Amino acid sequence: MLEAFVIATILCGFFGIVFKKNLVMKIISMDVMSTGVIAYYVLIASREGLKTPILTEALDNAAGIAYADPVPQAVILTAIVIGFSIQALMLVGIMKLARDNPILEANEIERENTP
Amino acid sequence: MSRLTIGWVALPLFAGFAVYLIPRLARPLALAAALASAVYATLLFLREVPLSLGLLDRFGVTLLLDPLSGFFIFTNALVTAAVILYCWDTGKSAFFYTQLTILHGSVNAAFACADFMSLYVALEVISIAAFLLVAYPRSDCSIWVGLRYLFVSNTAMLFYLMGAVLVYQANHSFAYVGLSRAPLEAIALIFLGLLVKGGVFVAGLWLPLTHSESESPVSALLSGVVVKAGIYPLMRCALLLPEIDPMVRVFGVGTALLGVAYAVFEKDTKRLLAFSTISQLGFVLAAPEVGGFYALTHGMVKSSLFLLAGNLPSRSFKELQQVPIRRSLWIALAIASFSISGFPLLSGFGAKVLTMKSLLPWQVVGMNLAAVGTAIAFAKFIFLPHRQFPPDSQSQPLKPGFWAAMLVLLGGLVLANAVYYEAYTVENVVKPLLIIGIAWIAHKLIFRQANVKLPRTAEKFEHLIGGMSLMLILVFWMVFAWVAN
Repeated sequence: MLEAFVIATILCGFFGIVFKKNLVMKIISMDVMSTGVIAYYVLIASREGLKTPILTEALDNAAGIAYADPVPQAVILTAIVIGFSIQALMLVGIMKLARDNPILEANEIERENTP
Repeated sequence: MSRLTIGWVALPLFAGFAVYLIPRLARPLALAAALASAVYATLLFLREVPLSLGLLDRFGVTLLLDPLSGFFIFTNALVTAAVILYCWDTGKSAFFYTQLTILHGSVNAAFACADFMSLYVALEVISIAAFLLVAYPRSDCSIWVGLRYLFVSNTAMLFYLMGAVLVYQANHSFAYVGLSRAPLEAIALIFLGLLVKGGVFVAGLWLPLTHSESESPVSALLSGVVVKAGIYPLMRCALLLPEIDPMVRVFGVGTALLGVAYAVFEKDTKRLLAFSTISQLGFVLAAPEVGGFYALTHGMVKSSLFLLAGNLPSRSFKELQQVPIRRSLWIALAIASFSISGFPLLSGFGAKVLTMKSLLPWQVVGMNLAAVGTAIAFAKFIFLPHRQFPPDSQSQPLKPGFWAAMLVLLGGLVLANAVYYEAYTVENVVKPLLIIGIAWIAHKLIFRQANVKLPRTAEKFEHLIGGMSLMLILVFWMVFAWVAN
C-alpha cells in the first residue's frame, strides 16, 4: 500500500516534468519525483523494523529489537544533498534565462536558443 | 598499490580546489593531475592481477581496477591533457580549470568503482561539472543547452536510484555482482539510467545538441570521455553477468546504426561529429570484452576532430566546400578521419579489426553497415578543398597549444597501433580498404548531392523526457523477455 503511494508520487513527478510548460514548474516536478525516490529508500530501510538504528542500551539487550536498516538511509542522504545542489544550480540558470524570457515557457526558450 | 589507488582517486579533487585557491598554478596543476592518471593507467597495464578494493563492510565502497578500466583511465588522461594544452593560451579563468580537473577526477572515479552507489555519486558530480563547463560562456544559449543536459541526466539518475535500492534490498550490498540476484525491474531501471547517461540509442538523442553547441574543447571532453562514464558500467555488467550480455550487444548494434543514419545526412560539422559519437559508442558496446581498446582510439580521434572542427572557418559543409582550408589543418583532419574509418597504419584499424572479430554472427551485417556509414560520413571531411597558405597571409595562424594537443592525440593514435599489432594480416588489411572504397563511391554518387534534412523533433526537450519513458518500456520488455529465461 505504502509502496503504491510512493510509486504514484514518482510517476506524478515524472509526468509533471513532461506536461508542465513552465520551467520552474518542471523543476518542482523533478523535486516531487526525487522526494518519491527518497521515500522509497526510507520505505525499504524500514522493511525489517522501525526502531531508530542507535544502540542505547547494552549490546546483549539489543538483539531482539527490530532496527531499521541504516545503510539505505545513510546512502540517500548523499542523494538528497546532490539533488539539492543540482536544483540550486538549475534555479540559478533559470534566473539568468528569466532576464530575457520572463515567462519561462520551455518551448519558447527552446525555439529561441536552438540553432 | 591500494594506497596509491586511493591517492590517485583523491588527487584530481584536491588539485581542483587547489587550482581555485592558487589561480597562477591553474594550468600546471590541472596538467599534473591528468599526467598522474596516465602514469597510474600504465601501472594498471603492467599489473597482471585485477586490483579489487573494499572500503568498509560489504555495503561500503568497492573499487575494481584491471586493464579494461586502465584503457578508459588512459583515454581520460590523454583527452584531458590535450584539452588543457589546447586551452593553454586562450585565457580561460581558474574556474574553468577547476571544473575541468574535478570532471577528470569524477570520470576517473566512475571508471574505478564497482558498486552502484559510488557510481551514482561519480555520475552526478560529472553532470554538475559538465554543466558548469557547458555554461561557461554564460550566454543564454549555452545556459539553456547546459540546463537541458542537467535536466535529462538528473531525471534518468532518479530512475537509476530506484534500481540501485532494489539491488540493495536483494543483496544487502550495492556491488555490481549483486545485479544477477536482483529483481528484473532493478536491471531495467539501472539500464535506463546508464543508457541515457551514456547517450545510447534513442535515449542518447540529447547528445547531438549538447555536444555540438558547446565550445570545441568542452565538446572534445564530453565526446571523448564523459559519455564513456555511462558506457563503462554497462560493459562491466555485461562482462560480470552473461545473461545481460546479449542486451548490451543489441543496444550496441542499434546505436551504431542509428547514429550513422543521422551522420551521413548531416550538413553541419560538429553535429556530424556528435552523431558519429553515438554510433561509435555502439561499436564499443557491440563487443564488450574488447571495447576498452576501441574506447581509447575513439576518445583520441573524436576529441582531436572536435578541436579541429573548432578551427575550421565555418561549420557548414556547403561553405567549407567553397573556400579552401589551410593544408596543415587538412592533413590533421585527414589523419583523424582515416583512423575513424578504420584505415590501416592508424590504431582505429586495429580497434575495428578486434571488435569485428569478437562479434556474434547476428551482429556482423549490422556492424559492417555501420562501418561503411562511418566511412561515408567522414569522406565529407577528407574531400574538403585545401591549399597551402603563404606565411604572410591575412588569416590568423594556429596557436602552438593547438599543435601540442594534436601531437598528443594523433601521436597517440599512431603509437596505440602497438597494442594489437597482430591485426596486420593481408585479409584484415583488404577488408577496411574495400569498405572505405565502397563508402567513397557511395559518397561521390549519392550522399554528396543528397539533400535530405532529417527532422529534429525527437531532439526537443519534452520529447527527450517522453522518449525516456518509451525507452523504459522497451528495456522492461527486453529484460522480461530475455533475462528472465
